[in-house]
Amino acid sequence: MSLVSTNEVPGPTITLGGVIRAVGFIGLGAIGVTVGLSDVLARAPADAVDYGPPLMAPSVHFPLGTDVLGRDMASETLHALAVTVTNAGIAAIVVVVAGGLAGFIAARLPYRIGFLLRGIGGILGAVPALLLAILFIGLANRGLAPFAAGLAAAPLGFVRAFDRARALGQSRHAEFARATGISPGALLRRDLTYEFRDSFLSIATRALAAVTIVLSTVSFFGYGATPPHRDLGLMIAAARDVYFDAWWTAAIPAIALALFVLCARLAAGLDEGERA
Amino acid sequence: MWSFGLRRAGRLALGLLGAILMAATVAAQAAPDAKHGLLHFIGIVLSRLAHFARLDFGSSAISALPAAHELAQRLPATLELVAAGALVAAVIGVPLGIILSMGRISRAAAPLIQIVAAAPVFCAGLALLWLSVQVFHWDANLQDAPNLWSAIAAANGAAIREALRALVLPALTVGAAGAAGVQLSLRRAVADARDAPYRRGLKMMGLGQFEVDRLYLVPEAIAGVLANLGEIALSLFSAAAVAEWVFGWPGAAVLFLKSVALHDWSVVALVLLSFAAIVLIAEFAGSLGARALAGIEANP
Repeated sequence: MSLVSTNEVPGPTITLGGVIRAVGFIGLGAIGVTVGLSDVLARAPADAVDYGPPLMAPSVHFPLGTDVLGRDMASETLHALAVTVTNAGIAAIVVVVAGGLAGFIAARLPYRIGFLLRGIGGILGAVPALLLAILFIGLANRGLAPFAAGLAAAPLGFVRAFDRARALGQSRHAEFARATGISPGALLRRDLTYEFRDSFLSIATRALAAVTIVLSTVSFFGYGATPPHRDLGLMIAAARDVYFDAWWTAAIPAIALALFVLCARLAAGLDEGERA
Repeated sequence: MWSFGLRRAGRLALGLLGAILMAATVAAQAAPDAKHGLLHFIGIVLSRLAHFARLDFGSSAISALPAAHELAQRLPATLELVAAGALVAAVIGVPLGIILSMGRISRAAAPLIQIVAAAPVFCAGLALLWLSVQVFHWDANLQDAPNLWSAIAAANGAAIREALRALVLPALTVGAAGAAGVQLSLRRAVADARDAPYRRGLKMMGLGQFEVDRLYLVPEAIAGVLANLGEIALSLFSAAAVAEWVFGWPGAAVLFLKSVALHDWSVVALVLLSFAAIVLIAEFAGSLGARALAGIEANP
């Protein structure tokens, strides 16, 4: 074996998990493009009633049918998907900042402040995120639903990031750094940089999956999006009275919602059945 | 084990204290002068805490009845639903976890489970409701069904059937959400235990595969599920909130939703406290069980 061959950098290996994550990212990218072009792709503006006959089944003229007010389901689903994705994006940012980032920094705070914050995170995490989001909306207002959903999903992210940062803080490289006189601030910056470089996309897509479910459920209950800016949850809620006879009014937005959550889950590399 | 139990009990006590503080903060919103500055608000929270210590949880702003009375009327229905959901979760989740822990089948079933897990609980509930009406021709209105326990007490067969039929769909919805957590915990515990080095040693000592699995793998698998009991309980309560809304189940989660809409903060606070307390106690009991069975430490 030559010296050159022993020093060769091994090429990236393709694993099943990597392929699945790539599929998830491609799906999210495709949904992102669709959402970006939703105003162009949708042939009817949002909330355009009487665009066709009410409750028309999928046909050549209306490929995804119409709803009870004669709105084109294809156009409405596109507009609602755009609202859902935008709100979920805002909420996911809140989760990453108030959960992942804050949890990581809290683990290195002096005087056991971090443990106090972790305790608060653990208590908030014992309440279903859905109920917490509804409580926050009740205390503020429906316009702040994305922030409420983000804050409700943040405690779990906070606790995970805290525990991860604690483990890193007790690792050998941290002990070595402290022994050589590297400041706690510099060590935190180093760990934070590596942590976010390695797992930012995973944290963000995991948060996206979690908050999408919380936000759509909140809207389904009537605490989230308001017409004419309907999201997928509100579309499904509006179809409750008629979907026994007109399945497409609920099935189309439900499929769009599940597809978005599926792509986020795959991109996050979540285990089968794992909670986002 | 004793020191572990005491440590966990201390953590549970701290958690419950925190949950009470959270509930007092929410209940303080009910005071008419709650928005007169931070110091004033802290005073109201402390006053609520003092009331909580005397088991006075305030009154509902809507019915004027004690909040504890409102909760006592609704919580049994939620617990009944969660218990039925837990049963369904065990019945579906345990066999699924065992089947999926066999490598090849797991890989084949992975995409299907990902798709199922991506569907929000309310979509699954609506799909079940649609199936029951369109395929089984059940009545969509489940709210008029008799109470199961009253029907059992009266030994009324027709009423029991009616009550069970009303329970099936919400319990399936809740159970499906819980089953995901059960199968995942079981699968991970089996995967960890299967690769443990002691297994080879036991086989070399003459124990058969079945004996090793029965004596060592099964307790570790059960302990794995128990270690995640808090998270499974959280999934069940989360799903119960949705199922109550979708199927018109008269439980505490629907009471919570209506109370938030009507700004009935005393009731909201008490529902939150009860849910958090149940999840924290489940977490505590699960961690003790896991430790006793196989020495597994639950989430730190």
